Amino acid sequence: MTVINSPGTPSPADATATPVRRTRRRTTRIPMTFYVMTVPALVLFFVFHTVPVIQGIYYSFTNSPGYGPSHLVGLRNYIGLFSDPRVLHAYWFTFLIAGVSTVAVNIISLAIAIGLNSRIKFKNTLRAVYFIPNVLAILVVGYIFNYLFSNSLPALGDQLGISFLTTSLLTKASTAWIGIVILAVWQSMAFNIIIYIAGLQTVPIELYEAAGLDGATAWQQFRSITFPMIAGFFTINMVLSLKSFLQIFDHIVALTGGGPGTDTESVSLLIYKGGFQGGEYGYQSANSVFFFIVIVTFSIIQLRVLQRREMSA
Amino acid sequence: MGATGAGTSVVRGRRAAGAVLALVVIAGLLTSCGSGDSRTTITFFQFKPEAQQYFRQLAADFMRQHPKIRVVVDNPADPETALRTRLVKENPPDVMTLNANGTFGEFATAKIFKDFSKDPLLDQVIPAYATVLRNLGRGGSSEVNGVPFAANASGLLYNEQLFTKYHVAVPRTFDELIRAAETFKAAGVTPFYAMLKDAWTAQSPLAPLSSQLQPANFFVKRFKKQTTFASGWQTTAQELDELYKFTQSDPLSKGYADGTAAFANGKSAMLLLGSYAIPQIRLSKPKFTVGSMALPATNDPSHTTLVSGVDVVLTASRNGPHPKESEELIRFLMQRSVVAAYSKAQVAIPCLKGLRNNDPALSGVQPYIDSGRIVGFTDHQFIPAIPLAPLLQSLILSGDVNQFLHGLDDDWNRVAKRRTWGIGATV
Repeated sequence: MTVINSPGTPSPADATATPVRRTRRRTTRIPMTFYVMTVPALVLFFVFHTVPVIQGIYYSFTNSPGYGPSHLVGLRNYIGLFSDPRVLHAYWFTFLIAGVSTVAVNIISLAIAIGLNSRIKFKNTLRAVYFIPNVLAILVVGYIFNYLFSNSLPALGDQLGISFLTTSLLTKASTAWIGIVILAVWQSMAFNIIIYIAGLQTVPIELYEAAGLDGATAWQQFRSITFPMIAGFFTINMVLSLKSFLQIFDHIVALTGGGPGTDTESVSLLIYKGGFQGGEYGYQSANSVFFFIVIVTFSIIQLRVLQRREMSA
Repeated sequence: MGATGAGTSVVRGRRAAGAVLALVVIAGLLTSCGSGDSRTTITFFQFKPEAQQYFRQLAADFMRQHPKIRVVVDNPADPETALRTRLVKENPPDVMTLNANGTFGEFATAKIFKDFSKDPLLDQVIPAYATVLRNLGRGGSSEVNGVPFAANASGLLYNEQLFTKYHVAVPRTFDELIRAAETFKAAGVTPFYAMLKDAWTAQSPLAPLSSQLQPANFFVKRFKKQTTFASGWQTTAQELDELYKFTQSDPLSKGYADGTAAFANGKSAMLLLGSYAIPQIRLSKPKFTVGSMALPATNDPSHTTLVSGVDVVLTASRNGPHPKESEELIRFLMQRSVVAAYSKAQVAIPCLKGLRNNDPALSGVQPYIDSGRIVGFTDHQFIPAIPLAPLLQSLILSGDVNQFLHGLDDDWNRVAKRRTWGIGATV
């Protein structure tokens, strides 16, 4: 708001000189600025986002393979979804990955953020280093991790005689998800750390001084001062990370491609594989519409719960 | 900021707008220069990454001979998905090279490709390969929706040096194959190098095993729901599982590139892949002769057939805007000299009558080609929505034959139920 008002904000000298012109110009020019700034964005959003979403919803009621003629089939695609074990497994797997990763990412990045916010040497360098994963492409890093998991780690396991590590983590359904979580957490930590550091800097230093005088331990200070004060940032991080982990795709493409079997297929990967490669465009459109509803519902519930907790804290 | 400030910014804005306008006009002129080209432009969609350079060169030669036609070669990274997106945009390429697999059959059934059944080009082609195309799918009952260009043979590749060293004869029956594998295993040589990180590699031995072991007309009956995989593919699944017991210890962490390199370096005696893998193997410069054989699935050598599919099929869009020019290009590519040179370079089997590839790596399968004991890939009967490769991967890891067969039946039935339009070969 301040930015928009600033050209018109009259300095005292100005105000006496041309009061009438200023007011008129403010009423005619500023709304125009609003339109110029918002309308293009709105049009772009509508054309490239809303229209495709509506098209997708339409296709979810057809048997379209993505090209050529198609027929409306009513709710058949939606009914099919709930009896397809591959789809149900993908949902289960996605929630597993998203749940574990969200918790892990928030614990680790909060710990690192507290470290990076304290008085340590090379603070700025370290902050930059911890931010690097965020600017790397997930696919590229994913292939590096893939190499580590399938070659380096087994070699290390052989050397140290740890039989658990001698075969690649990614080749067993029971352990492949761990590899995916490690990559997901490592990559998305950077962004969460930045938000937590921003949050920690809003906590007034006086509170800690007072707590220190009262003899509070570090853990008590964290529990009673730091955490409640950054609760808003915690909410943002929880909601954003859950939302992005639910849409996990690149990580799996780079690490397992959905294998072994179809054991590590996430919902997004299944939509891509079935819809674009498998030629079941209509069916997977139904899947994506349903998935969209699931994500929105989850985000709303999570936001409500966490905000209530924020207020009570 | 005063009124003058605003004034200059308006001027600046106008100047910027002027610059943008100038750019747009120039860009417009440039594109109109492009369309001012009097030649007809056709797109040539080329799927095979190994043959990119080869087909580019051919397109350049073609343009030199036909100054009125401009050919734009399109080599996408994930060709089948790329073709699908072009179809979504209702912009199919004019001329295409494609792998004749399940996706080709699906598109042919959806009437995407031109009918070549009355084209004289097909008369020069080995009839068995035209049949392979027809069996994959077609736009109408009498149609053939492409011209076979080059074929491959899917059986078994072996290291001739290691076979001589351990006195192993080329196996002619399944039992002999297992005995050979046991000999190598006892000698500390990996019999088969598994590449399950690329799940599709398991489909390679599946095709010869199933085509020799399944009852006659199995897929025709399967499409009509008169039989199941559980009843027709029992032995196939068992034998596949048995073969994969003779692999290195970490079958899932190695892929196609690792496997072909390991084989070329003499680390494994055999490779469960077809002739299409030979150029890739030769990249690692093996010091031995690569041999090939048909994979025997039974203990009756006379029952063994060679799985051979159309690796490269040439086709054109059904209602393309430039049918004449597309035909010219296909005719150019189907010249005997072009087909022969391509086959030599890519170790492929030429699809034209009377042509032969004398590469030593194909000598083991040549008798089957000469006598026409050829069958198409059974795995091409699966539309891609059925997760065949992942299911095979699970079968090999768990060894659970029944779970695999029932999974396959369930998935097949589910996909068949979801589709209201034609599926697979028998429409």
